[in-house]
Amino acid sequence: MASIDAGRRTAPVGERTPDRAGHELEIEHVTKRYGHNVVVDDLSFRVRPGRVTGFLGPNGAGKSTLMKILLDLASADRGRTTIGGMRYRDLRDPARTVGVVLEPNAFHPGRSARNHLRIIASGGGFPAERIDEMLWLVGLGDAADRRVGAYSLGMRQRLSLAAALLGDPPVLVLDEPGNGLDPQGIRDLRELLRARAANGHTIFVSSHLLSEVEHLADEVVVLNKGRLVASGSLAELQKEATFVRTPSAQTLTEVLEAAGAVVQPEERDALVVRGLPIDEIGERAHDAGIALHELAPHSGSLEDLFLDWTGAARTDSASETLKEVVSL
Amino acid sequence: MTWLRLVRAELRKLTSTKLPWAFLAILAFISGITATAVIFGTDMDGSKAFISTAGDQKSLMAFASNALMGAGLFGAIAVAREYGHGTVVPTFLTEPRRYRAVLAQFTAVGLVGALLGLVGAALTIAAVAASLPTTEYGFMVSAGGVAQISAAAAFAASAGAVLGAGIGALIRNTGGAVAAAVVVLIITPPLIVQLANEAASWVPDTLTKVTSGVANDVGLGAALAAIAAWAFVPAVIGLLAVQRRDVV
Repeated sequence: MASIDAGRRTAPVGERTPDRAGHELEIEHVTKRYGHNVVVDDLSFRVRPGRVTGFLGPNGAGKSTLMKILLDLASADRGRTTIGGMRYRDLRDPARTVGVVLEPNAFHPGRSARNHLRIIASGGGFPAERIDEMLWLVGLGDAADRRVGAYSLGMRQRLSLAAALLGDPPVLVLDEPGNGLDPQGIRDLRELLRARAANGHTIFVSSHLLSEVEHLADEVVVLNKGRLVASGSLAELQKEATFVRTPSAQTLTEVLEAAGAVVQPEERDALVVRGLPIDEIGERAHDAGIALHELAPHSGSLEDLFLDWTGAARTDSASETLKEVVSL
Repeated sequence: MTWLRLVRAELRKLTSTKLPWAFLAILAFISGITATAVIFGTDMDGSKAFISTAGDQKSLMAFASNALMGAGLFGAIAVAREYGHGTVVPTFLTEPRRYRAVLAQFTAVGLVGALLGLVGAALTIAAVAASLPTTEYGFMVSAGGVAQISAAAAFAASAGAVLGAGIGALIRNTGGAVAAAVVVLIITPPLIVQLANEAASWVPDTLTKVTSGVANDVGLGAALAAIAAWAFVPAVIGLLAVQRRDVV
């Protein structure tokens, strides 16, 4: 099977080509409830063109729901989302503006990949030659006439990607596009997305493959339980932690946590502190009479950061539950 | 033009799976049963009086009622599976104004339904014509009668398909949509007649007989309007439901 060819030039997709520059995605105070369950809670952030923005969060954090709200597939109870300043439904030509990967199995199993793309091309008014181009681009040229029901998960993901790229859109909204892809497919996907971002396109991609996001994303937006817990440049976020070595680790942890920091024990006498500037950590330690043997910026992996951002909330929740049980 | 593109895409959806072919096979089976009835069937007295007049033959060939029920199931499956497989998502992404997308879907289902009804009528007429030589009666129905039976079947099938599509859009689960279509098309009409006998003229079976020219309980125009109304109500309910719901 051929690989996803990131560098391949593709033909223009028709006479009514809208603005080819990427559009800023804007999420403003979006809240979504299903019954009493708040799935997205007052969420606000922006996704800039020319960058790859990773959208992270544990299962059930609200990532897919937010993407569906952005694409007008679900309605928000409060707030608004726009693409280039317009709601999705108001875009002049949405199929040529936004390419979407949402569900890995959103195919009729009895239909061939070629027919699946033909349908999308018919609806979007894309030239028929784009179908073969995209099938070869994602490495499905040889399997184009096979029933999708016989495809592996990775092949389905490739087909989803082909569908998303059919209109050569300047914005890509991709929900877990790397699921099921083999290592070569993941690398090809990364190169494809990076190439499009370099061309000024907007790439908004959710993933639970943190190592992959670390390689791919310029910026990240992190959700936990529907709330924004971190956003910004990945490189900057990775530098936001402070490494502290002290003989009074327990006391310092209490002092810093009281000041709102997230403190993670590292070794016997070492801590990684997030949520407080490095100078404030030093001052609070000094005020508390705690000796510090080392105080330095700490670059953590995205996985460490992710677990801090999302694990703290889980711990809080678990603590509350435990307290409730004890009080009974 | 965009809406016509959507209709074309929906037609491609319908013709790129085996669903229409499965229904075509059912139509061929029904026409085979009709032919068998003509060849081997008799009245209680052992005669073939049931095909002895043009009116009898027309009644036997009137396919509109079958067409409406069959196409109702076709429409329900065709639309409900869109939600089941998630293939409705690209449609709504292409046309976020959902009423336009759903109208395109209903139009395509109605067109394919009409075609299936027409083919079903043609097969039934051909089956009767081909099997009559085995009896002592010839083919007595006029060309106008054949045309009316065919047109009535196409119209009824189109309406049935749209009715089923509305149910499919409302229920979204294929099994549930088929069950609901059966309830609406097969179980409810006799119950309506049981509860209010004067409503018998307005159930699909009677209405399709009127449009086929084998009954005159109501006027032709009224029958056509009533068949359309049977389709219109679930279609509008389905359309409104799709407008309001999240696609999850």
